[in-house]
Amino acid sequence: MSIATIILAVLALLMAGLAYRQDPARPLAGTVAGLKMLWGMLPLLLAAFFVAGMLAVALPPALVHRWLASSSGLLDVVIGSVAGALIPGGPYVSFPIFAAIHDAGAGLAATVSLVTGWAVWNVGLLSFELAIVGPRFTLIRMVTTLLLPPVAGLLAHALFG
Amino acid sequence: MQRTMTLVLFIAGLGLGVVAYVEGGWSRVLSGLSGTGHLLVGVTLLIVAAFVLAGLIQVMISKETVTRWLGEESGWRGFLIGGVAGALIPGGPYVYYPIAVAFLRSGANIGTIVTFVVAKNLWTLSRLPIEVALLGVHVTWVRYVVTLVFPPLAGLLAQLLFRHGGRWVREGLPATEKGGRNARQAPDGSGPP
Repeated sequence: MSIATIILAVLALLMAGLAYRQDPARPLAGTVAGLKMLWGMLPLLLAAFFVAGMLAVALPPALVHRWLASSSGLLDVVIGSVAGALIPGGPYVSFPIFAAIHDAGAGLAATVSLVTGWAVWNVGLLSFELAIVGPRFTLIRMVTTLLLPPVAGLLAHALFG
Repeated sequence: MQRTMTLVLFIAGLGLGVVAYVEGGWSRVLSGLSGTGHLLVGVTLLIVAAFVLAGLIQVMISKETVTRWLGEESGWRGFLIGGVAGALIPGGPYVYYPIAVAFLRSGANIGTIVTFVVAKNLWTLSRLPIEVALLGVHVTWVRYVVTLVFPPLAGLLAQLLFRHGGRWVREGLPATEKGGRNARQAPDGSGPP
């Protein structure tokens, strides 16, 4: 069992305890509401996981690696941001790739854009966001974060480069 | 809407499968499928815990509370709470998106939820150890410093550009057709604590 699961289980138990103090029937009502939400979303979640799994094999890390390690100049932050968005997987999959790219000679600005692009533009996250919160939220979130990854790289260069 | 979205994602997965096949034949496709399976098995418990937590949040926290702390009247406090909550909540997208939905349903405004999601993406504390371990202290430090103001900034932008975005998003939530009806009634019936 992962640490995240344990933390969430403890949070859920705390919530259930608080709910019990309000009304003894409420922990069950909350659990049922949560499980119903999960049941309703199950086909969507399965489809999202299918996309995540396929993305990992359709986009070989070596390809992304080649694009980024060979680029130079201002273009770095843009390529870094886009490459970050395309690198699939959670932190335990992606950070080893980022480290390899950084070690292969990508600069500070490119690396910061890479991580930031992965964090906010992530294509793999997109499927979960569309499935769970819906396209309207995704639209708003994308509009408001559109410039963040390249700006992060430029800031890193300006302040620390 | 939910059915359409499932279909779109499924087709996207198939398309990626075709790309994988062109690149590496059936063995590549199979390793993608087994990757999907491993991913699912690995996160099943996490997903169940996350949805139960989201359900409890929904029935526990009344509309009045959420509106006061995260809604229109919350002002800068909402951004702060959304940001800190995003930084602290562990787990992947199947954890924080259901929680974002729970808050949206209870009346949180759009700026707060955008701050919450972007803070989860950029400030998350649970990722700090691996980031330091693999990229080093310097790069990690620079990355956190330059993205420090981004979550509230994105939230503020969302609030300014999409003033009624909260209601618009709420009305388009994928799950409102199914489990949402029950879940939504619970806080109404409970009244303020």
